[in-house]
This record gives sequence, structure tokens and C-alpha cells, in this order.
Amino acid sequence: MNSATHLEVRNLTKSFYGVPAIDAVDFDLRGGEIHGLLGENGAGKSTLCSVLSGLYKPNSGTVSIDGQAVQFRSPQDASNHGVGMVYQHFRLVDSFTVAQNVVLGMHKRQRPRSMRQVESMVADLAEEFGLHVNPTASIWQLSVGEQQRVEILKQLFRGARILILDEPTAVLAAQETDRLFEAVSTMVAKGHSVVLVSHKMAETMAYTDRITVLRRGVNAGSVTTADTTPAEVARMMFGDSAAAERTNFATAHDIGEPVLSLSGVSVQGDHGLMAVDDASFTVRRGQVVGVAGVAGNGQRELQEVIAGLRTPVNGTIEIAGTDCTTAGPKKTAQAGLAYVPEDRLGVGLAPGLPLEHNIVLKSYDRSPHSRRGVLSNTEIEKTMNKLVEKFDVRGNRSGMRVSLMSGGNLQKAILARELNEDHQVLLAAAPTRGLDMAAAEAVRAHIIEERAKRGVLVFSEDLDEIVKMSDVVLVMFKGRIVGSFPSDDIDLDEIGLLMTGSGTPDPAVQARL
Amino acid sequence: MRSPIRVMPRGVTGPSVRFGVPVGALGFALLLGAIILAIAGNDPIEAYRTMFDASLNGWKSQSRTLALATPLILTGLAAAVAFQMRVYNIGGEGQLYLGAIGASWVGLALPASTPMPLMLSAMLIVGALAGALWALLAAIPKAYFNADEIITTLMLNFIALSLMNWLIFGSRSFWRDPRRPVPGGKRLPENAVMPSISGRLHIGIIIAVVAAVFLWWLLRKTSWGFQIRTIGDSPRAASYAGMSVRLKTLTVLALSGALAAIAGVSEVSGVTKGLEPVALTTNIGFTGIIVAVVARSNPLGVVPVSIFLAAIATSGSRLQSIGINVEVVLLLQGLIFLTVTAGEFFVTNSVSLARTDATATETEAAA
Repeated sequence: MNSATHLEVRNLTKSFYGVPAIDAVDFDLRGGEIHGLLGENGAGKSTLCSVLSGLYKPNSGTVSIDGQAVQFRSPQDASNHGVGMVYQHFRLVDSFTVAQNVVLGMHKRQRPRSMRQVESMVADLAEEFGLHVNPTASIWQLSVGEQQRVEILKQLFRGARILILDEPTAVLAAQETDRLFEAVSTMVAKGHSVVLVSHKMAETMAYTDRITVLRRGVNAGSVTTADTTPAEVARMMFGDSAAAERTNFATAHDIGEPVLSLSGVSVQGDHGLMAVDDASFTVRRGQVVGVAGVAGNGQRELQEVIAGLRTPVNGTIEIAGTDCTTAGPKKTAQAGLAYVPEDRLGVGLAPGLPLEHNIVLKSYDRSPHSRRGVLSNTEIEKTMNKLVEKFDVRGNRSGMRVSLMSGGNLQKAILARELNEDHQVLLAAAPTRGLDMAAAEAVRAHIIEERAKRGVLVFSEDLDEIVKMSDVVLVMFKGRIVGSFPSDDIDLDEIGLLMTGSGTPDPAVQARL
Repeated sequence: MRSPIRVMPRGVTGPSVRFGVPVGALGFALLLGAIILAIAGNDPIEAYRTMFDASLNGWKSQSRTLALATPLILTGLAAAVAFQMRVYNIGGEGQLYLGAIGASWVGLALPASTPMPLMLSAMLIVGALAGALWALLAAIPKAYFNADEIITTLMLNFIALSLMNWLIFGSRSFWRDPRRPVPGGKRLPENAVMPSISGRLHIGIIIAVVAAVFLWWLLRKTSWGFQIRTIGDSPRAASYAGMSVRLKTLTVLALSGALAAIAGVSEVSGVTKGLEPVALTTNIGFTGIIVAVVARSNPLGVVPVSIFLAAIATSGSRLQSIGINVEVVLLLQGLIFLTVTAGEFFVTNSVSLARTDATATETEAAA
């Protein structure tokens, strides 16, 4: 094993629209190591990988390989320097064969003339690294695990010495995960270096040599895996400052009757696995319940099943005493659910239509906005003007499509619409994501205000935010509610561990709820 | 190298832009057409004057143009209403045949003494229903299995054409007149013929214009239209708001089919006066798609666009009489379609020359 630094990143900054996604990041990858790259969503992992693989050009900072400074002009260029990236979402042509996909995009001079030759070379590589796949099979015939092997072979074929695997296990079953890491160890034994981007604590601790944690675009530390503990890494990922600045909203207020109750709710995911698995909890009037969790652990499906956009395979959902398990979105809203979805443009709003249309998106068919099926534009405009003023929505011009408004104003517009409806409970998903400080603060104030009279269920990837706002914090991992913490008993270390799949799931969680 | 042309999406499209751009595009097309006419050895001014005289100058010309525009308005509306929801009904042609088949059946089956209002209403209803059901053959697979309606509606055209041809040429059907030596449809009784307004122009034009206004009102002023427009913009936002995309797919395609079918009713009752496959297969259904695109799916825009396209078509024969090829007329029609649809880009975006600021370029180069 060669322990010299193979890839060296110094002071790397990449900004989008003036906002740094990674800020003065240092990162070292040694020859023959598996280096875990951890961080929350939006911590900058993808940006760093995209710079390393030549997709983005950094604003400043240097990348060197074996001591030589390099500047990649394109992914092709990075590949020529021996850096290969395997994306979580595969980039393969379904109707082509494995061998064809492997050489796809390579220059004539870089690849053998005959496909037969490519096939035998791919077969040899597959044999060498234990990435078994039939080179003449078409991609559509292959399982997800096999397709991933093709992606890795593609990079090895191009002579990659540094492989970046972006959440490679997110799509794999347990058995395939083991096979993947066997292949990765073979690569490392042959002197390749691997960057493993991951959310999962257990596999990172088990398979990496070192770990680097990114937090809000900054390197929060690099540690040797053998010398650290999951708790320490979790603290690096999620920080421990949140508790100190926690504004305790949990001043004296009355907790009332349940406004949203889930009992044993399971939702089928897209790949046959349970996206939500036996979730039970209650939101009461006067309560903010926050759900913490790394994205992709079933939060979206849980939101959609509560909103009536999906039907659970098991369990019941009750909103303010009405059974809404199979009610559909309209009846669920009528039962008292206000829903601020994660995806503002496209789900929460019709992007190509004007604000007045979007403001009455759910009340267009009711008096006063329409009578006997005929719309009243004056009434609709009246409602819009009232809400624009009340919620301080700015940047609208008459007839303008809403997609041209800023994120903060869009979110205020959605909130305005949802809170203007008669409702008992507010479901808000990532309500402040992408908003500037002032807009985020305004949105939070509205949510806190809601609590006085109603119940709130809020999802966010920002653990600080969840902890600051919630009376109860739930933790979601792999579709299950694995932890529940009342606001006076927040254990950030434990929450961090639970979010990454380690720590001890509280067996009493379900019972306590 | 950065492009010296800067393209920005317009926030709000004012009326000057919305009407100015198509008119400008039309002028541009006529200018290009003039060049082509000149190259072909014709006098463009004489050609354009002849076109104007033949199609729009005087009531006789105008009524001929309006007669041709009548079915176009209806098939244009059929395409437009589906486009509003981003459903692409390419089956207007076939739905039109079904409307003609249905209406002529009613006209021939009811006693000839049936009062005209009753007779015509029955023909309209049955014709529209036939077209709606024909469209549902594509709408149901679309709504339940997400089958591409472009393919299914297109294919159904050929089936509808074969059906109509079979009824007249391939069988001794109820529609076929056994006494005629050359196969043809039975002539409709007098009460089943839409009264003429002037020459070939019949009351179908009133039906068409009323349909346009009604459709505009339906789309813009009712909660039903609100849903259609929402689904057209974002089906996911529509589902989120509790609208049934499936149900609307069915109803919109049925409505679209019914409108195209009414064009068939109007043609069979007002023009051919019997099921005459040859006279009915003039691509009115397909031209309606062009009308809807140029009118940007606005039902009120469909009326002038149809009249305009009809005007170009009616002037075609006259142009030939002064020695201009019919191909040139078709070319001009294509040019106008191309420029007006390309003009759409300028309606949604403002285009300007970027400032060539030397220092800005330098700093960018340095960075």
C-alpha cells in the first residue's frame, strides 16, 4: 500500500450565484485508501466531487494529482488524469450492451477497433476486480447492482486510478453491498484510491480508512477511522452548537387534543421496499413536531401519504378526528390539513401561471372565488391582494408567471394560501430550504405562530432548525421512526447517530408516542 | 466567446407584444413571399392584390373565405382545447369523419319531414357524440395506461378514413346511394341541410363562432377551465391541489373530439349534403392543428387565424389563373406558419444586443 498523498485539494472554493457551496476546502486522498466523505444534504459533497471529476470549474484553490497541479477542462479531461466518478444515478444507455456502454464517448484512438476486443478486455477487468457482468448483455437486462458494476468498469477501462463513488449503496440490497465492497477492496489492494460519498455511518465506519466530514461547505475535520467513534463523526456532521442557541419556544402553552395521528402507517416505495415502515405518532394542538433525518429515508413518502397523495399499504391516518387514510388530497385538505410541499415550483405552485391563479389553487371552486362553477376574478384578486399584504409577498406583477419570483416570495405565497384555508394542522416540508436569512426567519415565525392555535408537523434536513422549532423531535431512518425526543430532553449526539443509522433505536419509541 | 445577443424571459407580456409580434411575423412572411414570387418571375404586388381581391375584397369573396374557415375554426378549437391541457389530439381528421358519419346517419334515418331545428340539433348531438366516443378510444388508454395520445389519435384517423370509405365504396351500407353509378352517399333531405347565408356560406359559421366564444369562456372563466389550465401547466401541482388529472384527460379529449366532429357535421350538412368521402377528406382536421398552434391555443385567436388561412387557400385558385403555381401558394402558407410560430419565442422572451463592455469581458477573462 502506498501512503503518499495521491490527490491533494487546497483551499478549494466553488460558488453559485455568489453563495459558496464549498468554501476553502482542503482534502487529501492517499494512494490505496478508501476515504469516506460524509456530510448532510447541502454540505457540499456533490460540489466537491463535481469539481474533482471535472464537471465544475472551481472559483479558486488548487487540485493536484501526485504533486502535479491540474485543472480539468471537462469530465473527459479528469478521466484522462485518472479520476473517474460513479454517479448514484447511472449514466448508461439502456439499449446498448455493457461493452458498448464502457467505450461510449471514448475517442477512436483510445479504444480498440473491434467490439469483440472490447468485450474480452471488459471481461478481463471484470474478472480482475470481481465485478462480474456479461459484456455482451444489454443494460436493460441487468439488475441495479450489475449496472453499477458497469459504471465502475467504465471508469477502470478508462484507466481511472481515483474512483469517486457517490452514495453507491443507496440503491443496493445488503448482499450486493457486500459484493461491492469486496470489489472496492480489490481495487484498493491494487493501488487505486476510492472516495466513498455516503450518508450511512455503519458502512463508512466499517469500510473506510479515513473520513472527511463536510459541514455547510467547510471541512469539519478529517480523521482516521480506526481512531474515531460514530459519535464523534456525527458531532462533526451535525455540530453541537444547536443546543446552545436554541430558542426555547416551549414556554407555557396548552397542548390540546390530537390533530394528526398516524398509526402503523407503511408505504410501498418505488423499488418494492417499504419507504415508510410502521410509522406511528401524534401531533397535538399547540405542538410543533419536527422530523429529522437525512433525505431519502422516507420523508417524502411520509409527507405524501399524510397529504393523501399516496395510499398506505397498512395503518390509519386521522386528521382532527376524521379518518383520512384513503381520502385523497382534496378530502384530506378539507379535513384540516394545510400542506407546504418540499418542491415549491411544480408541486406547490403551477410555475407558468400567475400568482392569483396559484393563490386560489385549492379554493378556486368555492365561494367567493367561484359560484356555480363560474370564477369571480374580482374576488380572486381581492383574496390575492389581501394575502400579498398579510404575508409580505413581493415581486409580483399582474399576469406574471410565478416562476419568475424569488424562492422566499414563492414560499410565502404557498404559506399564505395554505394558512388562509380552514385547517387544524400544518404539514411543512423543508420550509426554509434555499431561502435567505430574512425570508427563512419570516417563514419560521409563521410556523411558530401556527402553534398557538393548531398543530404543526415540520420536516427539515437542517437539524438545527428542527431542534430550534420543535416541541418534539422525531428521527427517521430507512422509513422507520427510530427516535423521539421531547424538547427538554434533546440529545444531539444521539439524534446524529440515529440519523445515520447507528445508535440504539429506542424500543420504547413507538410505545411512548 | 460569449454570444453578443442577450435573451431574457419576459415577466409580463403586454398586448402590444402579443399582437405586435404575430402581425410583424406576418409582414415578414409576406416580404419573404414577395422575394420568392419575384424570383419565380411573378409580380409580387399584382399577386398580393389578386389574393386580396379573391379572398377578402367584397362580400362574395368574403363569404367564400368564411365558408372555408367554418370547419377550420371547429377543428382548430378541437386542437386548442386539448393543447390547453398539453394533451395532443392529432385525431381531429378522424373525429371529423365520425361526426360526418353520425350526422348523415341521423339526417337519413329520421323522417324527411322532421322539422329543421329538431333535425339539425339531432345531427349535431349524434355527430358530436360519435366524435367524442372516437376520441375516447385514445383517451382511455391515455388516462389509465399513459399510452401516448399522439400515436393513438393519429392512428385512429386512418381507421376512421377506412371506415368512411368502406361505408360508401366497400359495402352496400345505409349511407350509400344504390342508384348512383359512381359510389356516393345518399343525399340528405332538405330539412337536414344547414341553411345557406350566402352562396356556400351556411349557418355553420355561426355555430363555429359561438363555439369559440363559449370555449374561451369555459377555459378562462369557469372552475373547470381553471383545472384544465392548472393541469396544462403542472400535472403534479394539479394533483397536489386535489384535481383529478385522469378525469380531465377523458373529458378534454372527449370535448376535443366532439368539436372536431361538429366540423364534420357542418361539412356534411352544409357543404357536401351527403356522406361524400372524397369531398370530406381535405385535411381540415390536420389544418386545425396548425390553426391552434398559430393561435397559441387561444379559442378567440382560432377564429381570425382560421379566416386568414382560409383566405390564403381561397386565393390559391385565382392566383393560378394569373399564372402563379399552386405550389407557391402552399409555400407562402408554410412560410406564414413558420414565422408566426417562430415569433412565439419573441413573445415569451425579450431579445437585445448585449452591451459590449470591454472591462467586464476582461475581468471575466481574468477570472
